[in-house]
Amino acid sequence: MTLDFSWLFDPLYQTWLLRGVGTTILLSLLGMVLMFVIGIAGAALLHLKVRFLQSPVTIFVELFRNTPPLVQLFFLYFMLSEIGLTLTDPVTGGRIPLFTGFTCVVLSLGLYNGAIAVEIIRSGLLAVPAQTVEGARSLGYSRLQTFRHVELPIGLRMSIPPMTSNIVSLIKTSSQAVLVAVADIMYGATQIMLETFRNLEVMLLIWIIYLVIASIAVLVVRRIAAAFRIPGYGS
Amino acid sequence: MTHHRHSQQSAPLIEIRDVHKSFGPVTVLRGVSLSVRDGGVVCIIGPSGSGKSTILRCINGLMSIDRGTIRVGPFAVETLKSDKALVPLRHQVAMVFQQYNLFPHRTVLQNLTMAPVQVLGENPAAVRERALALLAKVRLTGKQDAYPGELSGGQQQRVAIARALAMQPKVILFDEVTAALDPEMVSEVLNVIRDLAREGMTCVLVTHEMRFAQEVADEVFFTDRGVIVEHGPPGTLFQNPTDPRLKAFLEKVL
Ligand SMILES: Nc1ncnc2c1ncn2[C@@H]1O[C@H](COP(=O)(O)OP(=O)(O)O)[C@@H](O)[C@H]1O
Ligand SMILES: [Mg+2]
Repeated sequence: MTLDFSWLFDPLYQTWLLRGVGTTILLSLLGMVLMFVIGIAGAALLHLKVRFLQSPVTIFVELFRNTPPLVQLFFLYFMLSEIGLTLTDPVTGGRIPLFTGFTCVVLSLGLYNGAIAVEIIRSGLLAVPAQTVEGARSLGYSRLQTFRHVELPIGLRMSIPPMTSNIVSLIKTSSQAVLVAVADIMYGATQIMLETFRNLEVMLLIWIIYLVIASIAVLVVRRIAAAFRIPGYGS
Repeated sequence: MTHHRHSQQSAPLIEIRDVHKSFGPVTVLRGVSLSVRDGGVVCIIGPSGSGKSTILRCINGLMSIDRGTIRVGPFAVETLKSDKALVPLRHQVAMVFQQYNLFPHRTVLQNLTMAPVQVLGENPAAVRERALALLAKVRLTGKQDAYPGELSGGQQQRVAIARALAMQPKVILFDEVTAALDPEMVSEVLNVIRDLAREGMTCVLVTHEMRFAQEVADEVFFTDRGVIVEHGPPGTLFQNPTDPRLKAFLEKVL
């Protein structure tokens, strides 16, 4: 068996691959932003025992954490296109769908990994010692101020290791974008395979590209963790 | 031997009357009464689980009470329900804990300045200056940029005392603040408390350091199973205890 990578030198394929990598990274970054917003908001509502919102948050978490992200993506995609909300394109004046495949992927990533992030951040918050919280309360901090200035900053730091795997999971899950016709890296790969039939070589390359993206993400998180490390605290 | 002026005629700064407190089926306080005059130093001693920490937590509203009244200066503590209503009380009543309870993610200086700025809304520059002076007072000059986890237990506890002082309180509650310390660090913390007591800070100390209690206290209260069994000046209480439970306790700890 010989591997043929000559297609890699075709400028058209290079463009597809680069655009695809860019799209995958953008999807992942936007998904992560949504994931953090959902994760922090959900964990805060559960931790602060906000009445009437605890059960909806719990149901949301169970619903999205325990079902396949692919099913969620298709459901979002079909449901939202069914509703058929449209925007007026400011340039052309034409009608474009509000929920494009791209939007649906970002939403789906944010919801699926966000549901997991709720649980991760909540465990981090629970790991904040009760004594530290009591110290804040004794100084007049309200429940909300204690959360914002003491529990959340410490809890988020504690949640970094499990959150790293969640971020990697989000990047991997973004490869579903191809299934709703978003031109991510998998989409580029599929197109190249259709034209060159070098399936094995293309997949090998894609495998390596995901490995590189995920490794960079892990390195960045490690940098952030080091910058926010609490000297002399924990192990 | 006491360094305080005795103003027995004026109303006490803290007055606790017939306080009851239960946690579910467990009754922890069964009618506790005690008072502390302005500038007074009061020690609470007693066996573990007798309700000493609970009394302190009730004084600054960290715990609500089931029955009785707690007055601190102008505040009727049992009527303060919301976080907001408790801020003025906690401004006046600071607390120092056995486990220091510092903010691990903030530097020593930030530990001192956070609450005055974030809770009391004071000017950050003024608070910073005050905080540095307090660090000097507890002999921690130069440690302002360290994190609590980088300090010894004795140093952390002195930071905690400085953090309490940064609120400019009228009263400080000390809950077994030397109990978690290695023996060689106990005196550095007790020295700081002794200085505060001499300067006229009102202090309520839960402690197992009987010699220190005897030295600094105006009055000592002995608790057992949620009641104050006996109280009086340290000389009387330690040398001539009357209640058999206090006698037994003193035999064990002295
Ligand atoms: N938050 C709480 N919930 C339930 N029980 C508590 C709580 N705090 C204290 N207790 C109980 O109240 C009793 C008195 O506790 P505490 O005031 O801490 O005693 P001390 O400080 O004298 O050792 C103990 O039996 C303890 O288990
Ligand atoms: Mg105690």
